[in-house]
Amino acid sequence: MIKIEKSEFGTFIRDLSAEYKLFAPVGEGRQSAFREVSSADQMNTSIQMTQNSPKTVFLPQTEVLFEFNGDDIQSGEKAAKPMFFWGVRSCDARGMNLLDKVMGQSKQRPDDPAFQDPYWKARFDNAVILTLACHEPASTCFCHWTGGNPFSKEAGDLWAVETETAYLIEPLSEKGKDFVKTLSGYHTASDKDKQEIKTLKKQAESCLRPAVDAKILKEKLPKIWDDPLWDEVSAKCVNCSACAFICPTCYCFDIQDEGKKDKGKRFRTWDCCMFPIFTKEASGHNPRSLARERVRQRVMHKFNYFWETYGESLCTGCGRCIRVCPVNLDIRDVAKQLLEAASAV
Amino acid sequence: MKNTYIPIPMKVDKIVTEDPAKTLRTYDLAFVKDADLEQFQYLPGQFCEMSLLGMGESPFGIASSPTEEGFLRFTVNRTGLVTNEIHNLREGDMVGIRGPLGNWYPVEDFKGENVVIVGGGFAFTTLRSLLVYLLAHREDYGEIICIYGARNPDLFIYKDELGTWLKRTDMKLHLTIDNEADGWEHHTGFVPAVTEQIAPSAEKAWVVVCGPPVMIKYTLPVLEKLKFPDARIITSLERRMKCGIGKCGRCNIGSQYVCIDGPVFSLAQLKTIPDAL
Repeated sequence: MIKIEKSEFGTFIRDLSAEYKLFAPVGEGRQSAFREVSSADQMNTSIQMTQNSPKTVFLPQTEVLFEFNGDDIQSGEKAAKPMFFWGVRSCDARGMNLLDKVMGQSKQRPDDPAFQDPYWKARFDNAVILTLACHEPASTCFCHWTGGNPFSKEAGDLWAVETETAYLIEPLSEKGKDFVKTLSGYHTASDKDKQEIKTLKKQAESCLRPAVDAKILKEKLPKIWDDPLWDEVSAKCVNCSACAFICPTCYCFDIQDEGKKDKGKRFRTWDCCMFPIFTKEASGHNPRSLARERVRQRVMHKFNYFWETYGESLCTGCGRCIRVCPVNLDIRDVAKQLLEAASAV
Repeated sequence: MKNTYIPIPMKVDKIVTEDPAKTLRTYDLAFVKDADLEQFQYLPGQFCEMSLLGMGESPFGIASSPTEEGFLRFTVNRTGLVTNEIHNLREGDMVGIRGPLGNWYPVEDFKGENVVIVGGGFAFTTLRSLLVYLLAHREDYGEIICIYGARNPDLFIYKDELGTWLKRTDMKLHLTIDNEADGWEHHTGFVPAVTEQIAPSAEKAWVVVCGPPVMIKYTLPVLEKLKFPDARIITSLERRMKCGIGKCGRCNIGSQYVCIDGPVFSLAQLKTIPDAL
């Protein structure tokens, strides 16, 4: 385990930004996001959670798929300089892995490269992600409901924890191991450091509120498919999509053309299953015309459907949806209500 | 790295207007690049996204059979922005195609057994692909019965071919329209009722049913009454689609994506998806 003293951190970051396109938490409050930095003082090292997840870099809000000029098509794929992400929380790191299962791979056609998203792969496959442990989970954090933990090492290429005087870093993946090999001149963590990690972990976990096991929720949700509770749950939702856009694991997108027949571009943009016309067909028929059906769709996708296919929750408990919802719809309360209704069946 | 978001160029070779109101047109598309033609391997049931650069895309079931070489056939119903623009195409115009997408009718499982095809209106597209395919491999399959209904005689597609299929002795084609019409020599009545009358045997048989949602809704109980097991009732779903490759989430129903886990599903599978029917 490598120890980078805080006095060395500035140099470490500067060197890192020379080798990689370095992304780190930048900004405060609602403006905070993962942005490119070239020095440590551009970073916000005290923020628990950025408003915007790293999804904004891996699956940008808008992206040109290709441009066309007559019959000539130019792909929008870009060869990216390798990226390094400093300070990704474990909920976000797990989130990016989950997105990779859909975008970079294909469950249905696992061996066919035609079913892998080349735009996503160019970014994700070339990125090194450093998962930074959380000292003080926010009141909205609930990663532990979904199998996570503030000190989780489940996702990312490297794992780091901040102590009073240093950052302690260890590799998690092959990419992480290769990265660590390039570091020289740093100390290794002492036994005292490792003891401190244990204390910090306990402190972080003590901030977490009582959990609902997402696995139990997943099992029980199909029982209440037609329950009138969905009307109640969806009543105050205005289908604004803030939750989906801010969510690190929502990936629905729209594809549109811009321009004319002989010159223009085809691009994709974030979309949301909660928009009323998301599933509307040209005939006018809309399979999810009711708000209750759309809210149910989002909850089911996060807590049941994805689990059916991939064996884990799509929600990683980051809590951003709780913070941005304009009508204060708290997914944790929704989950508890649904579980209660399902247990009564 | 293959980029399945980028369409391959195809040329409009032949356009047939199927009905007097010009709401249905059939397009035969030719491959422009030999490499694309060679790589395009498909089976009945699959679909493509047809691309009009600058306008958008729409998914269409492939109406040609892979046994018909060198071209792809699609029948397009004029409904929205993209389909209206497709109806403005002339022979010689270029379009884009992404595909083949989706899964296919389980033609391997059908081998040695009887196949009943039940279709309604312009949903007959992939059923044409299936029928032509089965007929091209006739010895591999048992009895072939086809029940095809349309609202009125104008709204059948592939009318010339229906004429030749009616004359074949190695298959039985039943046509039906909703209401009596002058000069109509075949059945009258909705597809579910006519299917019940004809009562195809479920013994060693599969049934493939495609049509408007209301037709499917009332045909399924008839098929269950005729003792077709759920796993042997095959249908093809439609949903609004965009990427066609299981990524954008638009066609998500339950844990499935219609564009890649489907569009072909058995009734047994559909019964496990609460959102499906």
